[in-house]
Amino acid sequence: MNLKQRERRLAFKLMAPAFIVLLVVALYPLGHVFYTSMTDRVFAGREAPEFIGLENYRKLLGVSIEELPPVIDEETGEQKIDEETGEPVYERPIRVLPREPDLHRELTQFSLFGNRYVIGAITPAFLGAVWNTLYFTVVSVFLETVLGLIIALVVNSSFKGRGVMRATMLVPWAVITVVSARMWEWMFHSSRMGLFNTVLDYLNVIDEPIAFLTISELQIPSLIAVDVWKTTPFMALLILAGLQMIPRELYEAARVDGAGKIRQFFTITLPLIKPSLAVALVFRTLDALRVFDVFHVMLARSRYSMASMNYYELVGNRNMGLSSAIGVIIFIIIFAFAVVYMKMLGVEKE
Amino acid sequence: MIDFSEKPIKSALFLLMLALIIIYLLFPFYWAVNSSLKTEAQLFMTPATMVPRDPVTMEFSPNLANYIHIFQSGEFIRGLRNSAIVGVTSTFLALMIGSFAAFALGKLRFRGKKPSLYIILAMTMFPQVTILAGLYAIITRLPLGTVPGMIFSYLIFTLPFTTWVLTSFFKDLPIEIMQSAQVDGATPMQTFYHILLPLTAPALVTCGLLAFIQCWNEYVFALTFTSIDPGARTVPVAIALFTGEAAMQEPMGEILAAAVVVTVPVVLLVLIFQRRIVAGLTAGAVKG
Repeated sequence: MNLKQRERRLAFKLMAPAFIVLLVVALYPLGHVFYTSMTDRVFAGREAPEFIGLENYRKLLGVSIEELPPVIDEETGEQKIDEETGEPVYERPIRVLPREPDLHRELTQFSLFGNRYVIGAITPAFLGAVWNTLYFTVVSVFLETVLGLIIALVVNSSFKGRGVMRATMLVPWAVITVVSARMWEWMFHSSRMGLFNTVLDYLNVIDEPIAFLTISELQIPSLIAVDVWKTTPFMALLILAGLQMIPRELYEAARVDGAGKIRQFFTITLPLIKPSLAVALVFRTLDALRVFDVFHVMLARSRYSMASMNYYELVGNRNMGLSSAIGVIIFIIIFAFAVVYMKMLGVEKE
Repeated sequence: MIDFSEKPIKSALFLLMLALIIIYLLFPFYWAVNSSLKTEAQLFMTPATMVPRDPVTMEFSPNLANYIHIFQSGEFIRGLRNSAIVGVTSTFLALMIGSFAAFALGKLRFRGKKPSLYIILAMTMFPQVTILAGLYAIITRLPLGTVPGMIFSYLIFTLPFTTWVLTSFFKDLPIEIMQSAQVDGATPMQTFYHILLPLTAPALVTCGLLAFIQCWNEYVFALTFTSIDPGARTVPVAIALFTGEAAMQEPMGEILAAAVVVTVPVVLLVLIFQRRIVAGLTAGAVKG
């Protein structure tokens, strides 16, 4: 056996434990989840699960769009107008949405070309969870990128106490997510015991305390505030690493050529930190898409993310089949993003 | 270096900006510390006070009762112990298995290296919550116990991370070290144990610390797997489900005291290893 073969053998032996472990903790459960998602398996159920094909996916993703006919006033022959709100009255969605084989419930309504339509879904909660997750992801990643960039630019300029500043940036990152959710939950408290209500009251902005975590328009923005606080420093650190690789001479040359600060930012800084910015961005996106901790701690069952719905279907409803299908859908969405990430990062940089 | 005396307005704005950023980053944690030092009566005061104050005299009066309570309750201590066991063991296993694989991927020549690297990189992005149901089914079926089950399942994120970061570290070590060891008659394994591994010690420490923080932070697996075994709850689960003795109202003071207790050691560790952590984070681009 020559040296090359020996080296190859050794390499495989060294890698074997890692790959075996990954096979057992990731690949096998993944296969299990893919298979279970096509059964009606119930956790700790007595009956043997049956293979039901894509039924779980149909239940999760089944939607229907129906036109809502206007309610005609019998006296005038025209569409009824609600006396209190002044809005035209349409048929109740529950009457037009399909009932067989599965009852569709109203998800949302919209108007198009003077007609009123209703979107129904078999499981509105799941489509809601997908929407909540995407909303959370897009807004929080956007804010984190912008704030992270600002902080990184500030910290990158040299000043006394820069070390202290960098240390400070690591603090929110070191706070575990559940703890930061609890801390902010307390600051968001719905009475003047909470910090935000105290401050808003002090500034005379509000008459009544705001229930941040109960009012549906404020629920997700509140969670975004927690995530932005915790993760912006991480973004800033990644961007900072990119900033520090830019040679100083470039800025000096630009200054000699008469380019102002803003021009320098757009022609030098931004193009050169683009790779690290892109990596940070996609990494955060992948992470935000599987958000669980803040949703579970702060909203429990009042509003789901994809991951928290997965958890409640599994542990709360013992619905292993459906929960697995949710897992697969999360996997597919994240996989699509991960492919983009791999393309951008590249493995071989030798 | 910015000269603060030259452009007073500009530097004042800059300092203001710095101050705002520092307040934004630190204030929420300060608020938790402040609230954790309040008694229930002080927490109920409206408007909330910036430091613990006596409800009647409004004098500064911090109170350690919340801290004493959580250390007297078995729930929290048990959580700390479980988290420590799970975190340390899983990190140790990940470092051991990961450094073997990283040595092969970083320094040895063989066919199939590129796909192996791709698999490891893909695994660092694996969405753990996807396989929640599958792992739960496996763990409840195996006669492992919940704590070993968690240790094992945490390898799903600690192992790819340590392997990936250590691989890039091994790659950067000069190849001459291996060659001269080989000339001296050392086998690749001897080179690994006696020369390369001591050289990677700093990377192992950083990597281990980051992996440990990931375990310390982990919530969804711990919550799911301990749903039938409350005795195995880790700290995040204990803090999320904290009820206290009188379960009428959430004992917010105690929850925040627990929050402070679990955060301070991590913050200290992170500050001590600051420089290395930033380097490690940038290499692994991982969020804790």
